[in-house]
Amino acid sequence: MQVTSPVRKPLITGGKTVHDVTEDICRQVEAKPSKLWLMAFGVSVVTLAIGFLAVAATLWEGIGMWGLNKTVGWAWDITNFVWWVGIGHAGTLISAVLLLFRQKWRMAINRAAEAMTIFAVICAAMFPVLHMGRPWLGAYWALPLPNTFGSLWVNFNSPLLWDVFAISTYFSVSLVFWYLGLVPDFATIRDRATGMRKTIYGALSLGWDGAARTWSRYESVSLILAGLATPLVLSVHTIVSFDFATSVIPGWHTTIFPPYFVAGAIFSGFAMVLTLMIVTRQVFKLQDYITIEHIELMNIVIIVTGSIVGIAYITEFFIAWYSGVPAEQYAFFNRMQGPYWWAYWSMMTCNVISPQLFWSKKIRTSIAATFIISIIVNIGMWFERFVIIVTSLHRDYLPSSWAMFYPTVYDMGVYLFTFGLFFTAFFLFAKFFPVINMAEVKSIVKSSSENSVEKTA
Amino acid sequence: MKENQKTYWKGIEQLTNDSEFVKKNESEFPEYLPVTDQEGNSNRRDFLKLMGFGIAAVSLAACETPVRKAIPYLNKPVDIDPSVPNYYASTYVNGGDAVSIVVKTREGRPIKIEGNKYSTIGQGGTNAQVEASVLSLYDKERLAGPTKDGADADWETVDKEIAAQLNDIAAKGGQIRIVSQSVLSPTTKRAVGEFASRFPTAQHVTYDAASAYGISEAHRRSFGEAMVPSYDFSKAHTIVSIGADFLGTWISPIQFSKQYSKTRKINEHHREMSRHFHFESNLSLTGSNADYRTPIKPSQAGPLVAAIYNGIAAKAGQAKVSGGASVEHASQAINELWATRGKSLVVSGSNDPMVQVLINGINSMLGNYGATIDANAPVHYRQGNDQAMSNLVKEMNGGAISAVIFFNCNPIYDSAEGVALSAAVSKVGLTISTSDRLDETASVVKYVAPDHHYLEQWNDAELREGHYSLLQPTISPIFKTRQAPESFLKWAGQDVEYYTYLQNNWRENFFGKQSDTSTFQTFWDKTLYDGVFETGGSNRSLSFDAAAANAAATSIAQNYKVSGGGFELSLYQKIGLGDGSQANNPWLQEMSDPITKATWDNYLTMSITDANEMGITLNEGETQLVDLTVGGTTVKVPALVQPGQAIGTLGMAVGYGRTKAGRVADGLGVNAYPMMTKLNGASVMDVFAGVSVTATGESYRIAQTQTHQTYMGRENVIQESTLPEYKKDASAGRWHPKVYQEGKYLKPSKITLWKGHEYSNHHWAMSIDMNSCTGCSACTVACQAENNVPVVGKEEVLNRREMAWIRIDRYYSAANPAGSKKELEDAAENPEVTFQPMMCQHCNNAPCETVCPVAATTHSSEGLNQMTYNRCIGTRYCANNCPYKVRRFNWFKYHDNTQFDMNSSMNNDLGKMVLNPDVTVRARGVMEKCTMCVQRIQAGKLAAKREDRRPVDGEINVACASACPSDAITFGDLNDQNSRISQLLQIEKKEDGEGATERVVNEERAYHVLEEINVNPNVWYMTKIRNKQKTEA
Amino acid sequence: MSDSKDFILGVYDDEDVLLHAVSKIRGAGIKIDEVYSPFPVHGLDDELGYKKSRLPIAAFLFGMLGTTLALTMQIWMLGIDWPMIIGGKNFVAIPDFVPVTFELTVLLAAFGMVGTFLVSSDLKPWKDPKLLDIRITDDKHIMAIDLAKNKAVDAAQIGSALKDSGAVEVNDKKVEE
Repeated sequence: MQVTSPVRKPLITGGKTVHDVTEDICRQVEAKPSKLWLMAFGVSVVTLAIGFLAVAATLWEGIGMWGLNKTVGWAWDITNFVWWVGIGHAGTLISAVLLLFRQKWRMAINRAAEAMTIFAVICAAMFPVLHMGRPWLGAYWALPLPNTFGSLWVNFNSPLLWDVFAISTYFSVSLVFWYLGLVPDFATIRDRATGMRKTIYGALSLGWDGAARTWSRYESVSLILAGLATPLVLSVHTIVSFDFATSVIPGWHTTIFPPYFVAGAIFSGFAMVLTLMIVTRQVFKLQDYITIEHIELMNIVIIVTGSIVGIAYITEFFIAWYSGVPAEQYAFFNRMQGPYWWAYWSMMTCNVISPQLFWSKKIRTSIAATFIISIIVNIGMWFERFVIIVTSLHRDYLPSSWAMFYPTVYDMGVYLFTFGLFFTAFFLFAKFFPVINMAEVKSIVKSSSENSVEKTA
Repeated sequence: MKENQKTYWKGIEQLTNDSEFVKKNESEFPEYLPVTDQEGNSNRRDFLKLMGFGIAAVSLAACETPVRKAIPYLNKPVDIDPSVPNYYASTYVNGGDAVSIVVKTREGRPIKIEGNKYSTIGQGGTNAQVEASVLSLYDKERLAGPTKDGADADWETVDKEIAAQLNDIAAKGGQIRIVSQSVLSPTTKRAVGEFASRFPTAQHVTYDAASAYGISEAHRRSFGEAMVPSYDFSKAHTIVSIGADFLGTWISPIQFSKQYSKTRKINEHHREMSRHFHFESNLSLTGSNADYRTPIKPSQAGPLVAAIYNGIAAKAGQAKVSGGASVEHASQAINELWATRGKSLVVSGSNDPMVQVLINGINSMLGNYGATIDANAPVHYRQGNDQAMSNLVKEMNGGAISAVIFFNCNPIYDSAEGVALSAAVSKVGLTISTSDRLDETASVVKYVAPDHHYLEQWNDAELREGHYSLLQPTISPIFKTRQAPESFLKWAGQDVEYYTYLQNNWRENFFGKQSDTSTFQTFWDKTLYDGVFETGGSNRSLSFDAAAANAAATSIAQNYKVSGGGFELSLYQKIGLGDGSQANNPWLQEMSDPITKATWDNYLTMSITDANEMGITLNEGETQLVDLTVGGTTVKVPALVQPGQAIGTLGMAVGYGRTKAGRVADGLGVNAYPMMTKLNGASVMDVFAGVSVTATGESYRIAQTQTHQTYMGRENVIQESTLPEYKKDASAGRWHPKVYQEGKYLKPSKITLWKGHEYSNHHWAMSIDMNSCTGCSACTVACQAENNVPVVGKEEVLNRREMAWIRIDRYYSAANPAGSKKELEDAAENPEVTFQPMMCQHCNNAPCETVCPVAATTHSSEGLNQMTYNRCIGTRYCANNCPYKVRRFNWFKYHDNTQFDMNSSMNNDLGKMVLNPDVTVRARGVMEKCTMCVQRIQAGKLAAKREDRRPVDGEINVACASACPSDAITFGDLNDQNSRISQLLQIEKKEDGEGATERVVNEERAYHVLEEINVNPNVWYMTKIRNKQKTEA
Repeated sequence: MSDSKDFILGVYDDEDVLLHAVSKIRGAGIKIDEVYSPFPVHGLDDELGYKKSRLPIAAFLFGMLGTTLALTMQIWMLGIDWPMIIGGKNFVAIPDFVPVTFELTVLLAAFGMVGTFLVSSDLKPWKDPKLLDIRITDDKHIMAIDLAKNKAVDAAQIGSALKDSGAVEVNDKKVEE
């Protein structure tokens, strides 16, 4: 039996009963789409369409449509890839790691967070495919498939190939984890619905009947999945960081990258979750389930990870100086004072300075401030990847090849496309799926709702 | 039957012959399709009717598409085996330039030019223009046949009309002139002679776009015979050049590069090299190779020469001349010249006869005639007579000339008299050109009788007195062109095939000059096989006329006055484009200039100081347009900040600003020829006065392939030292990285997880001697031709996407002392220059191979890093992870793509004939890079296998190495102990501790670029050694 | 036997009450067929005397399978089937094979286990759950007692026992097989 300390603030406010939970969450699944939702959804779809033009042009004419050149072979494409993957991390982290740590406050947010993970990873996966010179071949040549080219296999030494495995594993395992969580809630909706909806949600709910035997198996499955997902989520960004860490390019060839990237991922992921949660709780009136308490706790995670990232930046510099390798030293000198100094300093401001504001309880518990800073953080994290990729490449070993990178409208268009994709998917999810894990929340209604806390106190 | 008299009229209009009706009736359709008429009510029916008929008509017309026939060999020609190349000895001739070459043909198409090793002049070397000339053959904008008034005509009519008019001009005693650049062919000269004897009033006027009239005139004045002697830099210990770019564009650069490089080759056993003093305004290729380079204004050249004359005269105890003003390093030069007299050489690029007179004086005082200068074998590259040319233009303007034939020349564009000439041409009754295209001159003449391309013709060339080189056709004429001399003979009434005419000439004049062959046929065959035939020059006894020297000195004193505030302009030829005759050749347009690294443009080079004063900067090619005023006329040109440019001087390349060369060249840059001035009757490229520049503030982007000037003092990239240092220690300037690990400092190669792989059969490798590399970039064009490297055009070069597989990295030394990292980026005002050819290093621990997800780039069992285009999916990870940034990505589809039609070797049927069938044309989205000419390696191995033997060292050579006129690149097999490369690097196999044999390179100068990251390349570089006392900025 | 099952259902609305009830009822010697809940009730399986699930073992075995598959695949493809010299490394460069091995291990473990779970609990689309009470997925816990299995005790007794244990309602339910 769980024991909750009285000092713990209530996770559910407004004196909700178990039935209220069902009602509140199912309401927006069952009700007609609101104007607000329709507007938001419309905007996302339009964005998607506009972005697609850029994607089409790239596929038709070639990667030359982007601003890349002989020296800078990756820029926005891989920047966006790493950025989206990073964002994806929060979902799994919240549901898996916090589950292992028995952090109940996760329950209100993990569903949406996991959905965000899935969509973010899809967006991320766009870039490794789109950035290929010949995506129509690369899309399947990168897999170890038996083929008629003579027994021609992939190169398991390549970090890019590790990415293929890491990303696809991460995606599919997150998907299963997420879906498993949805099954009991689908059952709830099923039993309230009629006709077409009943058959669809019926099918999705896999004939769930809430038997104690199933629940006990279900619990252990979730626990083990969480146990598997935790090292997985850490491995994904570690492997993504290998793309750079295992190379020979000054500014890339850095052993600190794995932990540094993982921290950055959690950092940006939590920020993105906050952005979305704040919007969702306003739109669907879920203030009683996603409370200030939740937001504050997440802000604390942001201070911690933000500070870790900051320390990583400083360590890099120290090591660059300490290594005594001129090329390495120049790479970092060039970040601060080179032609891309502005990118570097934007990164520093957004990632290292802005989160420190959360030390103040006032800001930490202010919805508006949190919303703004969460966006700033994600801008900062985008710049971090841009700085690592572009400023390292554009001036590496031979000064004869030093060059600048200037983005084209197509670089931007493709980025826009993924935004369209992400939000279109997210709004669909928010409308047709229960945005909060009902079963889990119900299990804590008794223990952590206001009245219970009062009782114990 | 009685024919019908009736006329059937289609209505009153016809009956009354209504003018409107008649007009309409003529045209098949009305002017417009009346969808709606004025009133606005629909007129659909008429529309449909018309469309219906229109479509029917079109589809009918479509039936008349030409039928193309492809006929396979029924009987295979004896000398053509599909996929087996044939090589023919021939001669590259373009204006006054000529080089003995070997032409590689595949299935009857010339696809590659190599130097002819039998030639004692070229010695197997080529340059960018020679390498690129094969593409000019397939230029689809060459004339397909003769034209009259710009319209196509057939030879019969053209010949008839021309002959008729010439005859009656001659009858009237009208003056006839043949204008040409230097003609090297004795047989052609003979034909011209016969033409002249048929039309007694005919005279042959010769000029040169790059004139050396000054030299020949000077020799006339000082020795009594107009000639350009041959020079031998290989014998010179001290070389002093006053503005002569002898490694790049002056007279016979390939020959001079060969000679010069011999004096720059050093090793432990031979630690001597020539010392090279250079005085010039623009930073030239030659100047950038000099040991001591002094920037001077053009107007200082004359006085400087006088000063050197006096300096030498003083030592020689001879009479001084008036005037003379010395500059930095001049006195040192004088001393060393004297110390090494007879083993020294003084040359000047000036075309002023007076300056050249003093140069002759200096050389004769130094006793260089007969030693480093051979007056007994004058060269024929430059026979132009600027005086005669100016006279001709005067005569034409005066209407004194009735007929003029422009024989393979384009004087309206490329002569100093161009502007005047274009006006004068209209005053001549009969104007004929033999140009291969409607160029600036040919487009204003009446008849154009296009000549063959040099690869299509039989001919000969006398490069130097008694040194002959044959031309033989390597492809039957592509168009209905005809050899110009044959045309002359025809017009002169002689109907003779030029081939027979050539043979007869040789039978009569040259067969007798040799004794090793008895019958003419054997003689002819042998000469044809060798490509060259030498009889040697004729003895002359020359004595320098001191009076000439005094006269020269006085003239110099008058003409060379350092102008106060104003700028001085010095025109020059670019290594790539030269005089601009091959301007329509995209390979040359995109070849990045060795010094400025710019492509597709000419520009005004100005010194850092001047640029700063005018607020002009050059950043990532971003600069601004300036108004350049010369002699009253103003042109808008981009400014390029050029380290090494003499303060107060400007430089500008000729050869650009073509208007009628073809779509590749037209409209690129500005034509600088009209800026040339006259001095003592010669057309000179220096302008002392009347030059002014004002910044316009309009920004402009120059497409440079390298935008960063210095090597940031990185010893892992450039390792250099000075000769005195090297004499003390052969490893001078070398940098030996050590990595600290577990308490000891180790060689990077010792720190590795892996044992690596043995390359037991062959192990191909390359060595590049930075000391003899002059940066001439012949290799880059050779590579482009050999490996089907696409041209991407100015826009894409601006986007930093040029495709060159081998590039010449040009580094300036930074301003001394460079305080901060930022200062390291700024080049010195007069920097030292280092050239570093950079291509795939074929690393044995290649970073690119590891990261490719699909194993599209792997290592061969012979040590080559190989690229599998078919497998490549284009992630570009390999390029990112390449520390040398030598990988090139196909950002777009560069072939069969109208957006890239400047890439003419891949975008039109004719141009495609130049493609090397052994090398894939890469698809869009794949990575490519230097393959070390793997197709040549395979061919060589196959040839050896067929004869059941190992390949002999040297029989397999890569394109860049074989093109190199300074033998800086050596390619070979490290496993062959006797190969040149093994010898050069002094390879020694040693047992290391763990039982594996490790390869030790004992040559102290050899180093790997970026040795510290232990990618273990198969390309070594040799330290740059400068023959100067101490390293200076 | 009839082709229908008779159930007595105890309806509870508080998980703690339910837990006590379970022990009470079983103490009274009444066999509980199954308990249905809208959310997991911790400790319920112990109270009902269910054995610990063996799914973790399944997960481990599938994981091991993944590891072996990954290693054999990589070693065979790059080391045996077509060795290529890549970056001067050994044909079989074990350190480089670690990431893929790890990922495949996790992948197979996760999917194997979830698959096993779905099969063992007979969860599949289009399956009719045959709910004894629609409120199961909302807010009520249902304790189902199969009369056929409790011949010893008579229905009325069971009903009252349920009432005493804190059930808010007691219903009879006949389920057609």
